[in-house]
Amino acid sequence: MNAFEYAAPRTLDEALAVLREHGDEARVIAGGTALVTMMRQRLLNPGHLVSLREISGLDRIDAANGDLRIGALVTHRNVETSPLVQEWIPVLAETFRRVASVRVRHMATVGGALAHADPNQDPPVTLIALGACVEIRGAGGGRALPVAEFFRDYYESALQPGEVVTSVVVPRLPAASGAAYVKFLPRTADDYATVAVAATVSLEPDGERCRSARIALGSVGVTPIRARAAERLLAGQLFGAELLRAAGEAVEAAVDPLSDHRGSAAYKREMAAVMVGRALTQAWDAARVSARGTR
Amino acid sequence: MNCKIRLTVNGTARAVEIPTYRTLLDCLRYDLGLTGSKEGCGVGVCGACTVLLDGKMISSCIALAVSANGHEVTTVEGLAGDERLHPVQQAFIDAGGFQCGICTPGQVVSAKALLDAIPNPTDAEIREWMLGNLCRCTGYYKIIESIRAAAERSRA
Amino acid sequence: MAHRIIGKPIGRVDGIEKVSGAACYSGDVSVPGLIWGKALRSPLPHARIARIDVTRARALPGVLAVLTAKDLPRILVGRRMFDMPLLARDRVRFIGEKVAVVAAADPDVAEEATTLIDVEYEDLPAVIDPEAAIAAGSPVVHDNPGAYDGAPAERPHPNVQSVLRFKLGDVEAGFREAARTFEHTFRTQLAHQGYLEPHAGVVTIDEDGRVQVWASNKMPFRLKELLSHALQLPQEKIRVNLTPIGGDFGGKGSLMDLPLAYHLVRVTGRPVKMVMRYAEELMAGNPRHPSVITLRTGVSRDGTIVARSVRALFNSGAYAAFKPAPSVSLGGASMGAGVYRIPNLLIEAFCVYTNNIPCGHARSPGEPQMVFAEESHMDMIAGELSLDPAEFRRRNLLRDGDHLANGHHLEHVRASDTLEAALKASDYSQPKPGPWIGRGMAMTHRHIGVGFTNAVVRLETDGRVTLRIALPDTGTGAHLVLRQVVAEVLGVAVDDVAIDLATTDDFATDSGVGGSRVTHTGGRAAYHAAEKLKAQIQAEAAKLGVPAEALAEIARAAAREGRTLEVSHFYDAKAHGAVTSFTAQVAEVAVDPQTGQVTVRRFTTTHDVGTVINPIGHQGQIEGGLIQGLGFALMEEIKTEEGRISTLSLGDVKLPTIQDIPPLTTVILEDPVGPGPFNAKAIGEGSISAVAPAIANAVADACGARIRDLPISAEKVYFALKQKEGRR
Repeated sequence: MNAFEYAAPRTLDEALAVLREHGDEARVIAGGTALVTMMRQRLLNPGHLVSLREISGLDRIDAANGDLRIGALVTHRNVETSPLVQEWIPVLAETFRRVASVRVRHMATVGGALAHADPNQDPPVTLIALGACVEIRGAGGGRALPVAEFFRDYYESALQPGEVVTSVVVPRLPAASGAAYVKFLPRTADDYATVAVAATVSLEPDGERCRSARIALGSVGVTPIRARAAERLLAGQLFGAELLRAAGEAVEAAVDPLSDHRGSAAYKREMAAVMVGRALTQAWDAARVSARGTR
Repeated sequence: MNCKIRLTVNGTARAVEIPTYRTLLDCLRYDLGLTGSKEGCGVGVCGACTVLLDGKMISSCIALAVSANGHEVTTVEGLAGDERLHPVQQAFIDAGGFQCGICTPGQVVSAKALLDAIPNPTDAEIREWMLGNLCRCTGYYKIIESIRAAAERSRA
Repeated sequence: MAHRIIGKPIGRVDGIEKVSGAACYSGDVSVPGLIWGKALRSPLPHARIARIDVTRARALPGVLAVLTAKDLPRILVGRRMFDMPLLARDRVRFIGEKVAVVAAADPDVAEEATTLIDVEYEDLPAVIDPEAAIAAGSPVVHDNPGAYDGAPAERPHPNVQSVLRFKLGDVEAGFREAARTFEHTFRTQLAHQGYLEPHAGVVTIDEDGRVQVWASNKMPFRLKELLSHALQLPQEKIRVNLTPIGGDFGGKGSLMDLPLAYHLVRVTGRPVKMVMRYAEELMAGNPRHPSVITLRTGVSRDGTIVARSVRALFNSGAYAAFKPAPSVSLGGASMGAGVYRIPNLLIEAFCVYTNNIPCGHARSPGEPQMVFAEESHMDMIAGELSLDPAEFRRRNLLRDGDHLANGHHLEHVRASDTLEAALKASDYSQPKPGPWIGRGMAMTHRHIGVGFTNAVVRLETDGRVTLRIALPDTGTGAHLVLRQVVAEVLGVAVDDVAIDLATTDDFATDSGVGGSRVTHTGGRAAYHAAEKLKAQIQAEAAKLGVPAEALAEIARAAAREGRTLEVSHFYDAKAHGAVTSFTAQVAEVAVDPQTGQVTVRRFTTTHDVGTVINPIGHQGQIEGGLIQGLGFALMEEIKTEEGRISTLSLGDVKLPTIQDIPPLTTVILEDPVGPGPFNAKAIGEGSISAVAPAIANAVADACGARIRDLPISAEKVYFALKQKEGRR
């Protein structure tokens, strides 16, 4: 790596001030797994690194008006093992659990993963399906953005220069709902997904018919995507093989995967349909259980 | 740009002056003379560089040394404490859990962290915890046996 | 025969250094004043070097030296065929070839300096595909390869490095006799040995002007010879100090960066360490050759094989330098004959120059490639003949007195026993537990390696024994095996036998580690030395009038007379003996028809072995080789496009993880007929080669999809299934 200045400010305002001062030459570092790897490979060469580690308050998981607020510095492992997350939004804990290995999850943070904007990551897919929002702070103030709108392009997020992810707010599932995350791993167990799907299904009061669904996919393009056309097909319908097939077809039309070591675009497209079927089946089952429980 | 850091390594307070770009692994190996942790893949995947930072496994090859300032690091050299060998280390010898040994420091550090967190792990828990420690020599069967044996021994 | 120590599952006490982090590998070696070397590598597969400007690199603060080819003698290096320059001189021939080297006290500074070296290249037409490389009019990688030292004479095309042939009988006549003939073509991928320790070395020149070397190299004496040639120094000026090696698997027998490290030492006056980053290993290590293999087999009406011809193309890359065999080819090509009696046989293996990464030896060189092709071919023929694959094999298995493709005559052949044991242990003939589940088998055999080793055994005055050898520790557990041999002969405890690891100063020679030879050659050297020492001890005991077990007393008595009880033995196993070791494996797989994903539900491996000296180590070799075979079969690949390797991180290579291993059943058939000590054979390379075809055959059994190129990815199975459906 090349030489760089390293700052570990105690407050967010200080961190933002350093970022503003050095502009393009500065990068934020949290867990560092992605950033340091890229710097060692000489893909990135920032003159200034601003570590968020010493800033207190960014590593909390809190209940917030019935939602969960997860601070940017919370590690993947902390989300995975948090009793609050496991009880309130188990699919989120399960998703974080699928990332790489325990060791990587000790280092990688929620905020860092979002800012990295790698379309092959697991957490963004589930966060989109859950309707989560990213909270951002910059010199000019704070703003919030749905995770579904946070990813702009390949490794490119909506963060403006000088902005930092501070937390993500994740709503709980409504009553009579279920969720599932399916990660297709045909190579080794520690891989990124060849295709990933997160689905939430909410049922009508009859406990059978779908009221609404959300479907998000990862590793199917330059950003994770929400499959709205497929979602619309499900509203008002009963579960069935024909419905899943139609949803799969709609998803195939919606994705634009990249060919890479994990699979060709053609294969990923077809697997997207298969995995959507599996995710919807699991989510629907979970929704039925939830609906029976609340009756 | 150089900076001074203070960290506790294997129970001993250490102070070093290092360039900011020094990884924690290189700092341990070259500035502190602890060559037990190894660089394998250099991208945080293989686990040969695994150390414990405040008791948690991390990949020291992609951690900046400066980020360990004020923290506690445990390397393979510090596993045994006052004993000659930690039970996990002895189990790896008895059950053939190592061959060339290059991944072994990372394996035993991770296995010790596992048994600290889960004293009686199932095979599934062993495989989940140890997923990030690659081995090319053993095929993993005897690594699993070693960890099982260490767990049993600790219970006895 | 019951032994005291041979056959006992003794743990590797030498492991204390490994589990505690005290073991000092080459990358751990530190000497005062050490600086770091880093290489600049070519970004193009084939180009003329028009200009190199190192001004900016030299000016970077902290840089102590920058060298290009014009600073070095015009030397070509290699292991057998000397075709590779130390640094590219006026031409680069593969992406990753070294063009310049930098030394600095800080390795990050050295690396940064390499980015400041300006090189002007003029593109040359590159040839990437081995078939294209041997077509008329293809770009030529080396203008005159026949002129290189060690170049084989036969060269049907300038891009052919070597042609290796095996012939039995008259293959044309055999095909004329055949009732039916079958031909199939298979492909295997570029794959790395996957050792977790990248190449590392430290070179220094001591006060006596001798070159001291620590290197991750498993043949220190051959290394010394090659360095002597590369550095143009007499061998006495060089000492190779042995260090433990973090995995070899065939890949750590070459000079790699050591000559450059030496020149940096010469120019800077400082000791130099060079360690390859893993991206450099993947770009310029010496991986396993990719292959294209076509087999044609003629069978008679009763299902016996009457003729076989095999054509193998090994994509050897830009240099032949990494191949050590005298043929400059891969001995595994002989496995085109499989484990079968084939009266009329012709195998032709071509190692071909292309503008790709130069390849070398990997565990069982050439065999995983050839056995995948050959054992898949056998199953495909069985299918065409409507014969059970086991039955087709039974009709053709080698028997006592048969000859191998290389002419070796075989005795104590247990091919049939090995096959039947595998079938039984795997429940091969039982009904499958469900749909989309299949079973497949494959067989191979591996000779016991030959070579030469020196050993010295000494009785110490405390009654313990020292075994002095210069065989590096590559992790196989060989050192413990040797200690067990000595302990058994001398009647002492294993703990009372210590290994004293020598340097290249201490012996004349040793063929080093590899080729499944160490238990045999090292073991026999240790055995005979121990036997001779035992005789000496008995003579001394008689003279003193004490029991022969009073070792300390006997040693002290001799010491009082100024004598040390020490014996040496040089063992040279010149020729392969008449025994080999058979392996039979059965894979049971489940195929997910919706995705093509293959899961290995269970795996059975059966081995016909000699006396097992250490069951833990022996089983460890089986398991390790098998999982490497699994990776080769299902997951691993170094991908290239137009000569550019896109798999530049170990994370992308897809080595199997702890969650990818199948439940495993091992069956050992022990037969004390080996040439090693106590009739041991060899095991290091027995379990890797049959895994891929066993899985491929199981996949075909499970779903009808026949995958002929490795790795067997879910995608390939999926589209093969789709294609089959389309045909219906």
